[in-house]
Amino acid sequence: MSRKKLLWVLLVLFTAFVLAACTAGEDAGEEPDDADTDTAEEAEGEEGGEDAAAEETPDLDGKTLYINNGQEPTSLDPSIGFDQVSWDPLNNLMEGLTRLDENSEAAEGVAESWDISEDGLTYTFHLREDANWSNGDPVVAEDFVFAWKHMLDPDTASAAAFLAYYIEGGEEYNSGEGSADDVNVTAIDDKTLEVVLIQPTGFFLDLLTNPAFFPINHQVAEETPDWHAEADTFVANGPYMLDSWDHDSEMIFAKNPEYWDADAVNLDYVHFSMVNDSNTQYQMFQTGELDTASVPPELSDELIDGDNVFIGEYGGLEFFRFNLTEEPFQNKKIRQAFSYAINRDDIAEYVVKQGVEPAYGFVSPGFTAPDGNDFREENGDLVAFDPERAQELLAEGMKEEGYDELPPIVLSFNTSDTIQAIAEAMQNMLSENLGVEVTLENQEWNVFAEAQQNLELQFSRSSFINDYADPVNFLESFVSDSYMNRTGFESEEYDELIQKGKSETDEEQRYEYLYEAERMLAEEMIAMPIRYYNVVVLEADGVEGILRHPVGYFDLKYADKTE
Amino acid sequence: MLKYIFKRLLIMIVTLWVIITLTFVLMVNIPGSPFNTDQSSNATVQANLEAHYNLDQPYYIQYLLYIKSIVTFEFGPSIKQPNQTVNDLLSRGFPISFELGIITIALAVVSGVLIGIIAALRHNGFLDYLTMGIAVLGISIPNFILATILIQQLAVNLEIFPAATWRSPAHMVLPILALATGPMAIIARLTRSTMLEVLTQDYIKMAKAKGLSPWKVIFKHALRNALMPVVTIMGTLFAGILTGTFVIEQIFAIPGMGRYFVESINQRDYPVIMGTTVFYSAFLIIMLFLVDIVYGILDPRIKMHQKGGRSR
Repeated sequence: MSRKKLLWVLLVLFTAFVLAACTAGEDAGEEPDDADTDTAEEAEGEEGGEDAAAEETPDLDGKTLYINNGQEPTSLDPSIGFDQVSWDPLNNLMEGLTRLDENSEAAEGVAESWDISEDGLTYTFHLREDANWSNGDPVVAEDFVFAWKHMLDPDTASAAAFLAYYIEGGEEYNSGEGSADDVNVTAIDDKTLEVVLIQPTGFFLDLLTNPAFFPINHQVAEETPDWHAEADTFVANGPYMLDSWDHDSEMIFAKNPEYWDADAVNLDYVHFSMVNDSNTQYQMFQTGELDTASVPPELSDELIDGDNVFIGEYGGLEFFRFNLTEEPFQNKKIRQAFSYAINRDDIAEYVVKQGVEPAYGFVSPGFTAPDGNDFREENGDLVAFDPERAQELLAEGMKEEGYDELPPIVLSFNTSDTIQAIAEAMQNMLSENLGVEVTLENQEWNVFAEAQQNLELQFSRSSFINDYADPVNFLESFVSDSYMNRTGFESEEYDELIQKGKSETDEEQRYEYLYEAERMLAEEMIAMPIRYYNVVVLEADGVEGILRHPVGYFDLKYADKTE
Repeated sequence: MLKYIFKRLLIMIVTLWVIITLTFVLMVNIPGSPFNTDQSSNATVQANLEAHYNLDQPYYIQYLLYIKSIVTFEFGPSIKQPNQTVNDLLSRGFPISFELGIITIALAVVSGVLIGIIAALRHNGFLDYLTMGIAVLGISIPNFILATILIQQLAVNLEIFPAATWRSPAHMVLPILALATGPMAIIARLTRSTMLEVLTQDYIKMAKAKGLSPWKVIFKHALRNALMPVVTIMGTLFAGILTGTFVIEQIFAIPGMGRYFVESINQRDYPVIMGTTVFYSAFLIIMLFLVDIVYGILDPRIKMHQKGGRSR
């Protein structure tokens, strides 16, 4: 009898505790919630009222776009943040001399015009009179000089510095052989900047859209070297400014009234979350906590054909490298045979999914040649799926090398579900179409990258993402002394083609060299293209005007959110 | 007692030094570098980066630099987030992980012990089977699956709680539930089995025979002994949960310490690896020390100044 009573008491106690734990939690931090409720209705009015989730987003008084940056930006110092997670915020907080326009081409940014000398070496930029920093200072030529020398300073240890080697004296300063004074970039006056390059560079204006070339307010930076680390000290010269930054958690951008084109900016605020889990960010999109989201790989089949899906090109390639210093891949025909045995359509459609395009060339679609055509279309398909040809080539190659049977082949890749699936598909195709059995080996990414760099892997997976919008960015990887080569490929002919493809002043001729270089890559088959990257984004109803450039960063300058 | 504590402190410092050294040896031996990237790069840039973080120095210099950074508790900047020092990361991440952890533990311990007692009192009854059935589920369902289910049901479908991030108390409910279920189940099962053992002992019969109320018998006499194994696992449980749980923090986008702990290793962010390892180890060592002290209080038979090692 009394025992039963005790049991009941315990049960009640337990329930009470669980409830208490929940409510105690709710009391704990009441203030932020309170402050929010006033503005909740106005800001989220279009959501249709009683949406629980709507109240949970931090409400900002005005038109606010909620997006996800995935993680904390590496750095908002333009010289240091050399990756996607830094570029996306930076491209909206700041602006370089040029800015990518609606067609993803370099157009006027802080510079309203420029003159290029006849030899293609000297660029003179005229800065806008009304270009200002968010603290009211004018954007002056000295800000660019300061920023670029900061990037090239070996003590800064900027991962982007090699992009500025096109500037005279840049490489010397960065490698410690020259000094800052030798870098040939000068502020003629407050609003005129002159740069001298080592050789004509047809894509220099494209290069300047990369955040690495953004200006730094030199007065602020001299006073506060860590100006970029916190929202209080951050000065912006782009469409938005940094309103608040809760590290590893969220960033709030506000419209920058000092921006020269502020009238074109529609949003009052942009709220960046930092949610790294692909399922979670999709669930937050479903609850309305985010306005845009990526498609989780598992849900690709379900979501990819939906109404709110934006699919765009993205400059980059997934490919597999042959190691020319290891048997049997010193033989060109054997390499070609492997390439002919792979059905890229199937890999793109059934393995990777997400609406990606199979790669029949190296340079991804989206780069416009001088004649207005796409580089990819112009140079056509350079590789193909042809099992018969593959078998012929393999037989010929084996004969040339005197093989009775192929040496064992190991296909290496970094650990990842999608990549594993691609590798398995390739293993299958090679076995079926070529009769070659390859062994799969996966390694943790960093271990893998190191081994690939040291040419320790025989046949390995790679990916490339463009830094700037020119085909040479990828093609240059395979010149003999490139850090990015990683295949053991050395060819003077190729090196020369790339050299011309960088420095030729006649743009059409320059593209001819690049076409030829790409054809040579395919003929030599030192790397096997598999598929191009793309960008797939879910956008909530009413979200529009986000520019998603094929070279990396998105632009929220014209973004809008309507009902 | 003081002598014992002093001795323990000394052992703790030596342990910590061994951990630091081992971590360093392992760290320099895993292949890879923090600057490996799929992005374009070149040799000069890589050399500048290595020089900037002293990675071009011989190992003994690097080791001395690490020891120095630990002694002064200035771990220096993170390599992957150069704006932030490791101290920043720890002082920002730990309070959040701690907040999440302490609520989780409170919930897990109190409800776990209560469920355990209920089950023991109802031995082989319906409530026993029910609670233990749930406990088995709680142990066997990994918390990341539970987390996803909770988000899908309570946030997306029913829209009761927000899906993720760490902003208001409402944001805390789901991660805490997901995190607490496992430890709660473990504690409940442990409590139940020890409770069953204790309840059959003579001194309990004696206590009942004295005419004590069931309350007193359970809470004053039985529970005190039944809790010993629970206290034993508390030390590790505490340190583990309080210093952050990578998976849960990842799923709910909680800016705690757990992710630094795991990601720093993947990224070869050496200063962060050192900082988090030292912090976690120190925390764990202190927790185990405290558990030993609590033992002494709960069970006076365990003497602090006992000679020789006592196995735990």
